Formats: sequence, C-alpha cells, structure tokens
Amino acid sequence: MNERRQSSPVTAVFVVVSLVFLFVPLLVVVLFSFNSIGSLSLPFRGFSLRWYRQVFESPVFRSSLRSSAIVATATAVSTLILGTLAAYALSRARTRWRAPLALVLFLPLTLPGLFIGLSLLVLFGEAEVSLSLTTVAIAHLVYVMPYFLLIAVAALQRLDPALEEAGADLGANGWLVFTRVTLPQVWPVLMGATFLAFALSFDEFVITFFVIGPESTLPMFIFSSLRRTVDPSINAISTLLLAITLALFAGSFYLTLRGGRRSVIAVTGETGSA
Amino acid sequence: MTVDVTPTVGEARVDVVDVTRRFGDVQALDRVSLTIGQGEFLTLLGPSGCGKSTLLRIIGGFDRPTSGSVRLSGRDVTNQPAYKRSVNMVFQRPTLFPHLDVAGNVAFGPRIAGSGGGRAQVRARVDEALAMVRLSGYQDRRSHELSGGQMQRVALARAIVNRPDVLLLDEPLSALDLTIRLEMEEELRRLHREVGGTFIYVTHDQREALALSDRVAVFDAGRVEQVGTPDDIYHRPATSFVARLVGDANVVAVDAESTDGPHACVRIGDRSIAVDGDTRGPAWLVVKPENVRVRATTDGVIRNGDHLTGTVADVSFRGTGFSYRIAVAGLTELVKAEVTGERPLPVGDEVTIGWTSSAASLLARPATRS
Repeated sequence: MNERRQSSPVTAVFVVVSLVFLFVPLLVVVLFSFNSIGSLSLPFRGFSLRWYRQVFESPVFRSSLRSSAIVATATAVSTLILGTLAAYALSRARTRWRAPLALVLFLPLTLPGLFIGLSLLVLFGEAEVSLSLTTVAIAHLVYVMPYFLLIAVAALQRLDPALEEAGADLGANGWLVFTRVTLPQVWPVLMGATFLAFALSFDEFVITFFVIGPESTLPMFIFSSLRRTVDPSINAISTLLLAITLALFAGSFYLTLRGGRRSVIAVTGETGSA
Repeated sequence: MTVDVTPTVGEARVDVVDVTRRFGDVQALDRVSLTIGQGEFLTLLGPSGCGKSTLLRIIGGFDRPTSGSVRLSGRDVTNQPAYKRSVNMVFQRPTLFPHLDVAGNVAFGPRIAGSGGGRAQVRARVDEALAMVRLSGYQDRRSHELSGGQMQRVALARAIVNRPDVLLLDEPLSALDLTIRLEMEEELRRLHREVGGTFIYVTHDQREALALSDRVAVFDAGRVEQVGTPDDIYHRPATSFVARLVGDANVVAVDAESTDGPHACVRIGDRSIAVDGDTRGPAWLVVKPENVRVRATTDGVIRNGDHLTGTVADVSFRGTGFSYRIAVAGLTELVKAEVTGERPLPVGDEVTIGWTSSAASLLARPATRS
C-alpha cells in the first residue's frame, strides 16, 4: 500500500501548462532565428542561417558584443577579487559589525534594478564621472556582488576551521594560510561564482540602461534594434545571448557543485578503502 | 655532503605559569601552573570541558591566556602566534589538506619554512617522516583514500617532519575504532622511544593516559587536581575526583574517627569499618573495584572479614571475570566491584562485600566540596 503518492491530474496539467508557458516563447525565438523568410510568425518556411550571417556582418552588433564581453570580463574579474576578500572577511571575522556588514553587502539583492541604476546615475553625475563602459562595469559589480558573496560565503563557512589552524600550526602566516590552505579548497566554487557573475553582467539591461555612455552592450543593441525594425535577426541575437548565458550558467553550476562536493569530503573526513 | 633528514622532536622544557583563561563568564583555566620537563611525555587528563584542550591550544599558540604566561625553553612565547612557534600539533579530527596528497601534506611545513636544501631534501625529509610512521609508499595517496588511523599517522608525520621543539597531541585517537586506537597507542610509545622529545598529550581516556605517559596532570574545572606518574595517580590519588576518574574507584563520604590503634574507624550504616590512614574528620573512603570482594550469602549474615551486605543490581561479563554493581543499604551510589571467577552471581542475589584494610584509603574531604 506504500506506493508513491499519486499526483492528481490537476497537478500534472498545471505542471505542463507552466512549462509550456515558460519555455514556448524561448523556443519560438530560437526557432524563428533559423527561419528562412523574414517573417516573425508562422508558418516556418525552411532552415537557414541568413539572420546569423546578417547579424555578424553588422558592425554595430560586433562592437556591442565586444562591449558586453569587456564589461562582463571586467565585472567578473573585479567581483572575483573583491568578492573573495569580502567573503573571507565575512566568514572569518569575529566582530559585532559582521551582521550589519553582511546586511549592507547583500542589500542590492532586494533593490529593484531601476533604483540601483538611477542612484548610480545620480552618483556618477554628482562625482562628475562621464558615463562609459567603466561606469557600466562598476554598476554591474554592485549588482552581481551579492550573488557572488552568497555562494562564496557559504563555501568558506563549510570549510573546517581546523584546517586553517593546521596551516598556521605548520608555520603559515595569515596570507599563506589563505593562499595555500583556504583558496585551493574553495577555488572551484569561486570560479563557478565568477562564471555566474559574468553571465549576470552579460545580459543585464535595466541598470546598464541608466549608466551606459555612447557605447552599446548586447542587450542594449537588441533593445534599440527592436525600436527601429522588427526582423528575425533579433531572434538570432537573442538566441546567441541565450546560448552564451546558458553555457555560463551550466559551467557555474558544474564548478559550484563539484567544488561543494570536494569540501564536503574534507569536512566529514570520509574515508575510502585503505 | 649528506644532510640529516631524520624527523625529530626537540626536548624543550615548557613552563605554564599562572595561566588563567576566561571565556565570558566561564573560567576555563584557573591559575594553572605546570612544568613539562625536557623530553617528557606528559598527559593532560580530564573530562570534557575541564580546560585541558584550552591549555594545549594556549601552548600551541591558537589561544591566549587572560593572564599568566607560557615559556618555551625559558623564553616567554605567550603572545607569539602559532605560526611563529616551533611547536607542532596533531589535532583531534583528521585535518589533512584535501587538495594535497600525502606527500604534499607532509611537505607543507618544510615548504613554508623554505629551510633551504631544495626539492630533493624536502622529498627526503618527507620520505623519512612517512617511514617513521610506517606509511612509506603512501606519498601519492589522497586523504580520502586513507583510513582514520592512517590519516592520523600522516598528521603525525606532518608534525614531526618540522622537527618541533615540542609535539602537541589533542585527543588524536578519540575518533578511531578501539582496535586502531590500541595500535596507535603502541605507535606513539614507539615514536617517543625512537625520536624522544617533549610530548604533551590531551585525553579524557584514563586508560590511554596511564598507558602512554611519563607523568599525568589531572584536570577538573580549570584546575590541576594532581600531577604525578601513572603509578602515583592510580595508586595514590590526591583527591576524590582523581580517584573516581583514574581508578573508577568507589568513593564514599564518611567521618573518620580515631581508634586506639593506628587505624581510623568509619561508619557505613550500622557498621564500623577499620581503614588504614592518618586522616580524621570528614573524609572520602576510597576503594578500587578490583579490591572489592563479593561473596554470596543466603541469610544476610555478614561473613568474617566482610563489611557490608547488599544486593546485586547489575552484572556484566569482563573476560577474566565479572563486573558488579551492588546496592548497599545506607549508600546512595552503587558499589562497583571487579571480580575474577567463572560463574556470575545473578542480579537480585544477596551478597556480602568486603576488602582488606590496606586496600581502602582515606582522603580529606573539604567541607565546601561535595
């Protein structure tokens, strides 16, 4: 009698409808990016890469892609460096400022992008910083940092503090313990979080909209193209963006999970065959 | 030119002077003074929370005393951080670095120290240290490929390869199975014989402490109760706490009265019992379980030479004999007895128990402590 609980037909229908609702728009975009005619509606006439060719021939697209790559790389690298240090401090500090500090660092998670963008725009204006890809990268740093910290702090807190003590016992000072004991163990997780930071920055639109200068990132380019004409090259660009982002997320998950498993073994001291 | 790559442990003398450590309201250590002699194997023994691990961590440099000082070979190291102290520790849990193989773990200290000699010499030192703990050939293993005992051996090699002045061991065997634990005890004794050096060992296991140490310091509630050789603390406990912890002795609060002879006289229930010793007044009567004699009785009459009557409350098989718990009228605690023999007395049987007068001893019972 103890069989798996029967899911009701209503639940099944609900799940299917939800999935259709979520993924059909994506599939339509991907599908029409390969359509051979310049129509955004059915019927699908034939397979073609002409929209991709058209997109890659556009100099504006190429410069947008480059801008996005530059911004995302700058964001990811600076997040990795600053975020790792901040996460280490957050996970190890024994001060009463820890909780308030964590609150401030995680706050951007809860703020609307609109608000972050607007407030940074005001800040840059007051400081008389001219808008450029640099200001976009700074804004993205603010936006992705909490995500990075969530992952990095969790990974660092999972580590056995006795391992760091063992490092100190063997003569390593604080910096050497950090670089030779702590970092090697959380490195895969940090790389995963960096991939995530890159992905988040790569397709960020709202905040970018406020703080970008004369250049254009990929999402900005899609937006401005939409305002001019609607043709299937938009689908091609969107599909490219989707593919890149998905690949980055997959990489991020792989690294995070693998790293997580490794540090779990470290903590439990799981033994294999002797 | 050949370089000596043998792992050693130095014979530094360690002086703990008046060390107090408070955590908030908790007094973990209360003015502890202790000297660990050159090349001595000293064990800090006590129940969990008695402060023994805190003291070891203070000696290792992982914690600082609220007041008092620690001297290594006469030099004050109280405020020196762990990484600057020539002291190495084997931790309770295996703390091998999971991102390094066994050789990488053992080479960690020498590489950090960068003590010259280059790769070849580091490798030679690692090999020597692993040979010392009988793990030659395990250089390329990862920590998750090792058993618990092997992990602690690697941790031991990782410590002694640095040639510390003192080796600290914080309950290194407590996470291991009994058979492995006994085997590791043997290894530690052999290691101390072969490399010599000052060892400070922390355990809550009195059997381990007696089996390994030159001297034992018994801790209770942040204070040293007694320091002595295993023979001392086992046969001549200074306090009722030591008697209970080390000998698992029966300890009964009594009043010792003077008699005409050299004996004292104590009352339990309506019985008067003669005990050797000079203590008079409030006292603890201490009798070790293996000195308690248990005999069957059917009529409740106390036999010649016995002292008390009681009922068997529990009996368990101990290989060479049986371990009894006996309920005695007038005593709140059950009397423990270890008796050799082949057939046990069943639970519920009436028995008489006794001991020779030299097997019991009296300890002064301060009025403030119960």
